[in-house]
Amino acid sequence: MGKFILRRIGQAALVVLAATLLVFLGTFALGDPFASTGDRQVSPAVAEQNRAIFGLDKPLPVQYLTYVGNLATGNLGVEYDQRRPVADMLIEVLPNTARLAIVAIIIDILIGVIAGIIAAVKRYSFVDVLVTVTSTIAIGVPTFVLAVIFLAYLSGWGPFPVVPRPFGSEVPWYQEVLLPAFTLAIVDAAFVARLMRGSMLEVLRADYIRTARAKGLSERTVIGKHALRNSIIPVVTYVGVSLGGLLGGALITETIFQYNGVGYLLYRAIGGNNVPIIAAVVIFAVLAFVLLSLIVDILYAFLDPRIRLE
Amino acid sequence: MTTLPPPPDAHPSEAGQGRTPPTETTGDPDAVHPSGALDQRAVSAVEAKTPATRKQKRSGSPSAMADIWNRYKRNKLAVIGLVAVAVILLMAIFQPLITPYDPFEQNLYNTTAPPDGDHILGTDVLGRDMFSALVYGARLAMVVGIGTMLMSAIVGVSFGALAGYRKGLADTLTMRFTDILLAFPLLVGAILVVRIFGQGVLPVAIALVVFGWPTSARLMRGQTLALRESEYVEAARSIGASDTRIVIRHILPNAIAPVVVYAFTSVGVVIVAMAALSFLGVGVPADVPEWGRLISQSYSFIRVPGSEHLWLAPAIAIVITTLAFAFVADGLRDALDPKLRGGN
Repeated sequence: MGKFILRRIGQAALVVLAATLLVFLGTFALGDPFASTGDRQVSPAVAEQNRAIFGLDKPLPVQYLTYVGNLATGNLGVEYDQRRPVADMLIEVLPNTARLAIVAIIIDILIGVIAGIIAAVKRYSFVDVLVTVTSTIAIGVPTFVLAVIFLAYLSGWGPFPVVPRPFGSEVPWYQEVLLPAFTLAIVDAAFVARLMRGSMLEVLRADYIRTARAKGLSERTVIGKHALRNSIIPVVTYVGVSLGGLLGGALITETIFQYNGVGYLLYRAIGGNNVPIIAAVVIFAVLAFVLLSLIVDILYAFLDPRIRLE
Repeated sequence: MTTLPPPPDAHPSEAGQGRTPPTETTGDPDAVHPSGALDQRAVSAVEAKTPATRKQKRSGSPSAMADIWNRYKRNKLAVIGLVAVAVILLMAIFQPLITPYDPFEQNLYNTTAPPDGDHILGTDVLGRDMFSALVYGARLAMVVGIGTMLMSAIVGVSFGALAGYRKGLADTLTMRFTDILLAFPLLVGAILVVRIFGQGVLPVAIALVVFGWPTSARLMRGQTLALRESEYVEAARSIGASDTRIVIRHILPNAIAPVVVYAFTSVGVVIVAMAALSFLGVGVPADVPEWGRLISQSYSFIRVPGSEHLWLAPAIAIVITTLAFAFVADGLRDALDPKLRGGN
């Protein structure tokens, strides 16, 4: 088990390192951030000076090594536009995205898992048909379309706050997070429900379930304890990976709801070619995803001993 | 295995084995395979010598395709999906003939008009006929969707087969590379690539292929790893078939099923991703009527009553297209299912 974990950690570290290289090359290919663009005219001398300040005139490998070195010590640099430290900006928006991700996952699990279980247990019933049809349609609806629809009809209704937030009004975080979390959760819950239902159906066919029932165990114990434990594994994997993706910032949803999270920060940075922010956020997203995949893999090996032998 | 008699002709055994999975895995020689593999191989071994049947085998076993189609037809949703895909494809191909107006023609005197006699679906924010814009969007979606799907499949299958068959260094390198690409959030990566290569349909397609091939590669690799241990592969190797020949003629037909299923699902993913990119203003240029772009242009009209058609029409178009391809993929998965399971 220990060897398995070490191997996976090594792979994860390699992936993150390679990702930093790719991001670096990608941001380099974006072009000179200090050149004249459209209405912003910059004299070549000033552009040259700006480049020197940020060390952009040094050879590529030196730039890359400096960057990685800085990353290792937690120095994310200073952004190009207003010279604010990137680390501060990231830390400012990170809690928002974390809250959004966690709330979304919770709603996701609640709706998806419960719907999936009920649909599987009461097969061919009305609930099953409802869940199957709804989840099938829901997977075809892209998140941003749903976000736009919710924005149109749900903002300001009931517990959902008005978006965009009127200037000067304060909205508590648990209210502000509702609409984007709901949007993200609904689509994901459809996947989770289908996965849960399929997995549960397969498990319910197994011999040990028949044995448990023959032993006289209550249906609740059979389903809640035996069937659930075995069928939940693929769902755990999926939810974990999903969480990793959400922590990277749901770019479109946050932008549409103007939710001040990591995704929104990235969107604004991309618009202005603000490379330090772009690089920092993308690497953070990769890191979050890889970390969570790692945790999920280890958890999976923990839950299913057959994997450890690989 | 040295006592194995030389096969009468390369084709009959392959036709029998290329189309149906080896039944050794079931361990029961009397097990009836859905497509009667046992009969087929026995029959093919006997009939191989006659020129007439030899020609028939060369064109591929006809009953396998018919089998797949029969199984596919059983799934009503899949058939509906296939019809929908066909309709969308036809709309895309014959777009210049069926659009009453030029999709690019803006009429700034008649913007956001509700549906009426002149414009079946009304006009959009820039005065373009919504119906024509939608049909042109379908054309874009099909070109980018299917193009990306094919490119991703080709690149992915190549790398996957290489990694799965050669193993060792090629495998490790490919796997790590796919790990890295898959760790990037799709949208963010695509935005970066498009920003680097500039606006336009081709950069969008390139971006989506770059992040789309890893999944196909992984699927292909998994299948190849399993299939390379099959007996027919060993047999082919023992008569001196080159690696390339083995992979292309023996492993590929059996391994391709999950890749094909995923490829169809990925068309929906690609279309949504392209729409998301245009929604954010990245990718397709602003004057091109792409579905996502249409939605973003109608953003400010969202709560205005009477202008639902502005965002509802392209949204429904996206949903229908994605669902159609998803249904087809589901149907294919069920139709190819025995192949899927038997291939391992």
